[in-house]
Amino acid sequence: MSMEDYDYLFKIVLIGNAGVGKTCLVRRFTQGLFPPGQGATIGVDFMIKTVEIRGEKVKLQIWDTAGQERFRSITQSYYRSANALILTYDITCEDSFRCLPEWLREIEQYANNQVVTILVGNKIDLAEKREVLRQKAEDFAESQSMLYLETSAKESDNVEKLFLDLACELIREAKQNKLDNTDSAPMPGEGKAISYLSCCSLN
Amino acid sequence: MAAVDLPSEFDVVILGTGLVESVVAAACSRVGQRVLHLDRRSYYAGNWASFTFNGLQDWIRESQEQRPPEELQDWSSLVKEGEKLMYLPHSDSASISNIEIYCFARFRPITDSSGGDGTGLRLFKPIRVHQEEDHLLLPAETWVDPPLPVCQPINFSSSLGPFLRQLMFSRGSLVDLLIKSNVSRYAEFKNVSRVLTCRERRVQQVCPHMSLSRPTNWTVFLTSGHPYRGRPYLDFLSDQQLGENLQHFLLHSIAMVTENTPTEVGLAATRHFLRCLGRYGNTPFLFPVYGLGEIPQCFCRMSAVFGGVYCLRHSVHCLLLDKDNRCKAVIDSRGQRISCGHFVVEEGHLTLDIKKVSLVTVPPITAGAPAVKMVELCSSTMTCIPGTYLVHLTCQSVGSAYQDLSPVVTRMFKTPQSHDQDAGPSVLWCLYFNMVDGSGVQVQRQDLPSNVYMCSGPDGALGHEHAISQVICILPEEEFCPPAPNPEDIIYDGDSAYSTGEDEQGEELQEGEDLKKEEADNEKTKEVDGPNDREEQKQMVESCDQGEELQ
Repeated sequence: MSMEDYDYLFKIVLIGNAGVGKTCLVRRFTQGLFPPGQGATIGVDFMIKTVEIRGEKVKLQIWDTAGQERFRSITQSYYRSANALILTYDITCEDSFRCLPEWLREIEQYANNQVVTILVGNKIDLAEKREVLRQKAEDFAESQSMLYLETSAKESDNVEKLFLDLACELIREAKQNKLDNTDSAPMPGEGKAISYLSCCSLN
Repeated sequence: MAAVDLPSEFDVVILGTGLVESVVAAACSRVGQRVLHLDRRSYYAGNWASFTFNGLQDWIRESQEQRPPEELQDWSSLVKEGEKLMYLPHSDSASISNIEIYCFARFRPITDSSGGDGTGLRLFKPIRVHQEEDHLLLPAETWVDPPLPVCQPINFSSSLGPFLRQLMFSRGSLVDLLIKSNVSRYAEFKNVSRVLTCRERRVQQVCPHMSLSRPTNWTVFLTSGHPYRGRPYLDFLSDQQLGENLQHFLLHSIAMVTENTPTEVGLAATRHFLRCLGRYGNTPFLFPVYGLGEIPQCFCRMSAVFGGVYCLRHSVHCLLLDKDNRCKAVIDSRGQRISCGHFVVEEGHLTLDIKKVSLVTVPPITAGAPAVKMVELCSSTMTCIPGTYLVHLTCQSVGSAYQDLSPVVTRMFKTPQSHDQDAGPSVLWCLYFNMVDGSGVQVQRQDLPSNVYMCSGPDGALGHEHAISQVICILPEEEFCPPAPNPEDIIYDGDSAYSTGEDEQGEELQEGEDLKKEEADNEKTKEVDGPNDREEQKQMVESCDQGEELQ
């Protein structure tokens, strides 16, 4: 492998019900276009875009569900090693919002526990058809300690911001981790606190 | 996530998401077949699956449950003239038996912070962990590093497949296929760092080993076996003026055969071991991070990326056969009729037509116990929490899993039954079970409709050749898993002069593009994205060499 021309590489994974605009968000961001029609994306695995944030090159690898969300059959391996998850719903579709707890359960089960999750309400260009109030979604996101953003892939509202914010957050976490990880490998028998346990607040 | 009806027409319907079925799915989707891939379970990979500790608890519960026999429903309303029904039995859990669990650590049920029902058990504090010298196999070097922050293992992740299924020979049809098809980009791999053997109660290192790296000796050794054709490998070894230690290594840890194995088979196995040596490191094995259960899922994703439709918790109740005894359609568990050109099914769904020879019947080779294979995984394989190890023990069974394996467990580890309470690492939790050996399954082809294919589960043999060769039998004429294009090379509607570099890929992509064009119909909403933008973007985008990382 040659020397890579980036400072950070992050894997970002999109999830959410079918038809909420996941693919559109990715293509708007990576290609600057809004794909017409609702064709399934055949042969597209993930997209890559390199952005520059405060002088550092950040390569974002953005993965789409490949249609497996349609019958709730996403492979667990899809969540593996994701640095960030974009959980998307459609603000004009109450049902896609109601399914969020189910998605969160999947995340909890399969994604690593340091994953950064952001909730995205898409399709704000269809404001007149809105079914999910912004306040409600914000409250929900807060209760689950997720970031929240409303976007329009069609009008390109907040799409750039979504990915750049995520990238900033990931860089921040990566730097933080570097500091924390200096003595992260406990020696056998030391009985050091195990990180995942601390998040379960047993005491 | 609402219940959506499945499309009702496919070229291939596949039931079961084990390795063989998943490779078939990927191969079919890749050449443009419309694939419907179902699994009655709520998880992927069937008997190849890897579980988290909580998932494993669920699996145990399910495997022990006696499910009431399903009522045969009357589907006659869906049967057209001249068709006949063939029911698929649901005796799938029969492939697992003799489950026994021993818990030596303190566990306590925890309540989900999110208000869950607290059904899961979590290990909250390892009492004692392995000492350094107890490591049997310790993958130390990361083979493909996760790009940046190393994520913490969620929990223990345990795979069902037998020992040799946990590991992959670094040269073999599965690894070759992973590289060739670019499916390897969906998984990460580690190199097994040591192979050891247990001789006279001592653990000894086989490789990396000094004497294995002198190829001149090997050439003579490997080519001099001809006079021993048909005679046991052990005879050949003992006539080669090798030390007893080396003989033991060669027989048990390198060839991994028994004392009665014919010389030519033993030598072939030895040759394979040596060929794999050094491809990715000092041992011939690779381990998929998170367990082998990842690999079938990777093929499923490849299939989905190329249009395969995926549906878990969904099964097929019966097949509809036409006059020529070909399967025309299936009826799914929701009573929907789905027509298909071919039907592929995992073993266990067609028990009536199959002569099953389970592993359990294999007699012991010597008067003693069967040879036990052991894999020790450390926390960097993402299969267990730091400070603990996950150990898989597998053997061809003589009695129940407990009878065969517990003597080894008590000898190598510290359990309340061990004589020496001070030696050996403590066992925290222990699960025994028997699984049917996939290689023992023989399909009586004449009983099956000509376009119905059966795939076997994991077997105990070396390598994954058996699994891959099954796939090739099912798809003899198609191009087999051509490499998937890199994301950068994909052409979208509207870009024309965007060179892909490779003609072959270009052509395939062109097809994909045509499909999309049809869907988009004449609505030629060419997006306004100036050529300048695109050019810039191309420069920004770097080539993704994930596929090559394996090479």
